[in-house]
Amino acid sequence: MLEVKDLAVSHKKKIAIKNLNFKVDDGKILGFIGADGAGKSSALNAIAGVIKFDGEIIYNDFIYKSPKEAENIKLNIGYMPQGIGLVLYKTLTIKEHLDFFADIRDIKINKEFLEYKNHLLSMAGLEKFLDRRAGDLSGGMMQKLSLVCTMLHRPKLLILDEPTTGVDPLSRIELWEILEQSAKEFNTISIISTAYMGEASKMDDILLFDEGEIIARGNSEQLINEIKPFVYEKTTTDKKHITISDSTYCLENLEIQHQKPTLESLFFVNALKKDRLLPKLQIAKSKESIDKNIVVMKATKITKKFGDFYANRNVDCELKSGEILGLLGANGAGKTTFIKMLLGLLPLDGGELELFDKKIKDSDDRNGLKSQIGYVSQHFALYDDMTVRENMMFFASIHKIDTKKSVQLIDSYSKELGFEKYLDEMPKSLPLGINQRFSLAVSILHEPKVLFLDEPTSGVDAIARAQFWELLKELKNNRGISILITTHYMSEAEFCDRVVLLKDGEKIADDKVENFYKKFPNAKSFEEIFLEYYK
Amino acid sequence: MRLRIIKAYFLKEMIELIRTKMIMMPYLMPLLIVILFGYGIKMQVTGVRTLILDNDNSQISRKMILKFEHSKYFTTTVKNMSEKDALREIKKANIDAIIIIPSSFEKNSLKGIKTEIGVFIDASFPSRSTTISNYIQGVVMDLANDFNINSSGMININTRNLFNQALRDEEMIVPGLIGMVLLISPAILTALIIAKEKEEGTIFNFYSSPVSKGEFLVAKLSAIFFLVSIAIFVIFLVASYLFDLPFRGSFFLFWLASEFYVFTALGFGLLVSIIASSQIVAIIVTLMLTIIPAFMYSGMIMPISSMSGDAFITAHIYPVMYYNHIIYDTFLIGQGFNSPTNISYLLLLFGYGIVLFLLGLLFLKKEIK
Amino acid sequence: MKIFITILLKELISFFRSFGLVILVIYFFTAEVYVAANGMEIEAKNVAVGVVDKSAGGMSKKILSNLHSPEFQTPKFYKSQKELSDAIYNKNIMVGMIFDEQFEKDYYKKLNPTINILIDSTTASQSLMAIGYIQNILMKFNNLELPVALKMHKLFNQNADTGLFMGVSELLSVITLLTTILTAIAFVKEKESGTWDIMLLMPVNPKIIILAKSLSQIIIIMIGVVLSVGLILFQSLDVPINGNLLHFFILTFFYVATTAGIGLFIAAVSKNIMQISQLSIVIMMPIIFLSGAWTPIYAMHPLLQYLSALSPLSYYIEGCESIFFRGTSFVDLLPYFGGVLILGVILYWYGFRKIGKLF
Repeated sequence: MLEVKDLAVSHKKKIAIKNLNFKVDDGKILGFIGADGAGKSSALNAIAGVIKFDGEIIYNDFIYKSPKEAENIKLNIGYMPQGIGLVLYKTLTIKEHLDFFADIRDIKINKEFLEYKNHLLSMAGLEKFLDRRAGDLSGGMMQKLSLVCTMLHRPKLLILDEPTTGVDPLSRIELWEILEQSAKEFNTISIISTAYMGEASKMDDILLFDEGEIIARGNSEQLINEIKPFVYEKTTTDKKHITISDSTYCLENLEIQHQKPTLESLFFVNALKKDRLLPKLQIAKSKESIDKNIVVMKATKITKKFGDFYANRNVDCELKSGEILGLLGANGAGKTTFIKMLLGLLPLDGGELELFDKKIKDSDDRNGLKSQIGYVSQHFALYDDMTVRENMMFFASIHKIDTKKSVQLIDSYSKELGFEKYLDEMPKSLPLGINQRFSLAVSILHEPKVLFLDEPTSGVDAIARAQFWELLKELKNNRGISILITTHYMSEAEFCDRVVLLKDGEKIADDKVENFYKKFPNAKSFEEIFLEYYK
Repeated sequence: MRLRIIKAYFLKEMIELIRTKMIMMPYLMPLLIVILFGYGIKMQVTGVRTLILDNDNSQISRKMILKFEHSKYFTTTVKNMSEKDALREIKKANIDAIIIIPSSFEKNSLKGIKTEIGVFIDASFPSRSTTISNYIQGVVMDLANDFNINSSGMININTRNLFNQALRDEEMIVPGLIGMVLLISPAILTALIIAKEKEEGTIFNFYSSPVSKGEFLVAKLSAIFFLVSIAIFVIFLVASYLFDLPFRGSFFLFWLASEFYVFTALGFGLLVSIIASSQIVAIIVTLMLTIIPAFMYSGMIMPISSMSGDAFITAHIYPVMYYNHIIYDTFLIGQGFNSPTNISYLLLLFGYGIVLFLLGLLFLKKEIK
Repeated sequence: MKIFITILLKELISFFRSFGLVILVIYFFTAEVYVAANGMEIEAKNVAVGVVDKSAGGMSKKILSNLHSPEFQTPKFYKSQKELSDAIYNKNIMVGMIFDEQFEKDYYKKLNPTINILIDSTTASQSLMAIGYIQNILMKFNNLELPVALKMHKLFNQNADTGLFMGVSELLSVITLLTTILTAIAFVKEKESGTWDIMLLMPVNPKIIILAKSLSQIIIIMIGVVLSVGLILFQSLDVPINGNLLHFFILTFFYVATTAGIGLFIAAVSKNIMQISQLSIVIMMPIIFLSGAWTPIYAMHPLLQYLSALSPLSYYIEGCESIFFRGTSFVDLLPYFGGVLILGVILYWYGFRKIGKLF
């Protein structure tokens, strides 16, 4: 049994988490859910005894109040910090990892251990790759290996910080199988944080984190039931409310039909309760009329090879104006490579590419087109050492927009996209959601006709993600911009007009979203459709 | 202290160093420095480009020119040009010194009247100019002796060069370079491999496991200690054969002192790695901390006995001078264990290492900062 | 042109905002130069002398009274030759002088008295200089009338002050190293932080980007040079300048552009800052080695002398020494300008092409 009393952690003089109290019984899975920076990692670090904290933690009969006192129970702890493959040594093979972890944990090598080890390996599906180096594994395999290493000494207390973030759905399911089995078989206590709401249903108990505090507790059903009265179908009202996607959230009673809440809804209701209303984001309509049937991009049998490995193989793809096309696939399926080839950041190894009806052969062909294309890269890479305003001025100037107009543009976009408060801050100090919207603003400064977005929503919390998709819709409807977006959140497929599925560098499906549902009438979510294709 | 943990880290470290090719670092970098500096730094001056303006053109003046021409220190040209042109040559850095023999040189010497010979030396590189002026004085003195063969009462100097009879630059520089590389290379390597774990996050394996701080440090350091211990022999061979250094002392003392010294160097790296959070910071801080003492306060460039005040104290704070004392002894002097100074310095080095290691142990925290 | 200036400004802003780099640059241009000037003493100064005096003492005392600072410390007396040599063995002293019983008698009898001198030649150059000093002192006591006198002129640096020279030399090395590293970092930082792709997608001619980026780093270095020359060389160290300061800055500008070319090359082949630091050392070491900074070029092996013509630093060092100390006129400086310029054009062009291929 684990009990946490009045836990508080401060990080660089900022309070990361305070007044945390809870109890977990053996064999249970406790989930930590919350936005980025809500204090989940700090709490996990404290329990694992790797950060200074106030309050006390009781594991069975042992009480510890500092990392030093926690030394004695580290034998029983298995801790996996946040970050894909963070605890792995990139140049060591899987086998070498297992030996290393067995040694530093001083595990007795006997028949029982070998059986257990092989059991873990086969559960993780790694037994065939023992001689492969960790650096050559895919993200999903890395996380599975990390988990195996963490569990090698049969910890009684398993602490995992976002073990499934950035991992494709198939690997995620496999990871959860390992976890559920271990909880049952070995009666371990597992504390797991996650960014995927879908995983909440697998947890016995959930703590919902917000700004360093717990705002709700219970299993997923209880949590959803609690907010049922506040979730309505999309509507307009004078009362304080939040409307996003197809739902409206309001604390007061509205005279319309209720909607079935999801776990994501928890965050919107919480935002309402804390009076953090979302700014209305919108993009001014452009004056030009929008022609819907122009083919903006046409790729024919595009191929990219790295050595013997095909990152993309004969991929055909078409993007029409005024369309949102989602490029979906597991980690390493070739999504980023594909976008980079479209942008000319990687040369084609085969196939043909047409942009705006122009055949692209070499970089000279692109020169005139650069001003028609906008791009947001993974991790929103803009210049870290310049403020938001300076970044925008810089890019405006690069695109030959005159100074007076740039100032106007910055003013209007920062208001429309809701980051005017942050104009004079450094991008790094911004919340990820703001950073994402500001990157989007930069990419549309020069009024491009097409936008390429590479995983713009990864790591961003539920509210910011929902807002971002609203914006993309506005861009499509009011500006007629075509958007090609990659994501590994399968649930986001619902927001796209059309979806292309990639697997191992090849296209395995390409259709309108509604057609996918027609093909698989039993599927409850796009994640299930995705799994059908991947199995 | 569980041997198994140390073995595990040792093996892991070795595999990583080999696969990332970092294993070259304790060998390539020191050899590069020893070879480049060993050949590159020349304190002795030879082939001074000297222009002699012989305005006398007499027997004596020619005799003098001959003396300059026969000296290995000078490369002479005799020319007839104006003093002004000659000075311009020096300004163009085509020559280093001008010697002007006045027209009445022979006549005056025979009459016993003193003649003044003008000497101009390019002092842009000051220490070189001092040496050049000493050389010129030597030649002229030599010439004067030839005139006064039966001079009496002159004080003779009987000089014995101890240790480095031939006054070779290599013998003077190379042992000091060993002291430099055996400090820098292990220190950087240590700082790097700990900072690397911090930067990449694998340090969590240590934080969250029951591995003790002592075990972690011993395990991490043992890999580098092992590699650098081999490097000691490699460097020794290079010094002995490539630079043809004599070895007059006890090899055991050389080896023991080197191991102790490497141990202190590891301690330096360890302390740096505790404050440095990334590899690049680790490199910069280590270089700043080690290069200056290894060069300036080691006794290699400036003898410790000539230091005064702050410099003297600073030199005694860093471990370099103690090691250099022993290493010069083993290569050139050969007192070995008979010298109490050597023994006390040896113990001092060991103590130094222990203190740094204990400090590292004290400041290393098994938690996130 | 507007785009060029925009990129230039962006680079300058981002440099001044990166605290670590600014500190590093300031440290090298000020403290490093200052420490080198004050700390690196190659001249024999403050030499520790030990004496065993078995003579009556009158004459020897007279001689010893001439051993004083700054060249010598007050002599230490030892009882026996054994003690004296032990002191040398333990490096307590560098030079030992032995006056034997006969010394004074011989001197007055004009019988060529002898002083035995032991020197610790593990520090060869200082030992030799110390002997030179002693010889000069003894000259005064010799009854000998020399027919010649030397009138020594030490040109350009009368007091042979090493500090000034070391200060200038160090500044030149700092310029070399920092230019390479800063230029390389300006590009590789974009690779590391993922903005490289964004840069490639800008509708801007790559040549303008490369030019603007390298010029920005050249400007930073030039600011550093002005600071270093003004504050450290002139203000703190009081280095005289015999030539024209403007010549120095022009030559420096050319040289910095040359080294920036090497920086471009390093940037083209490095993926991260770690690799930059390793490559810079590997490439810059031979350039410094061949430049004559440590050994005069004329004293090198003939083959190396030819190779040194390929090191831009060799022209730059000679040129700067000529400007600072020799006060050489512009016409005579032309070979240095020519050398730096020719190598500069080649290196910068090569680096430019190399990095240009990445765009």
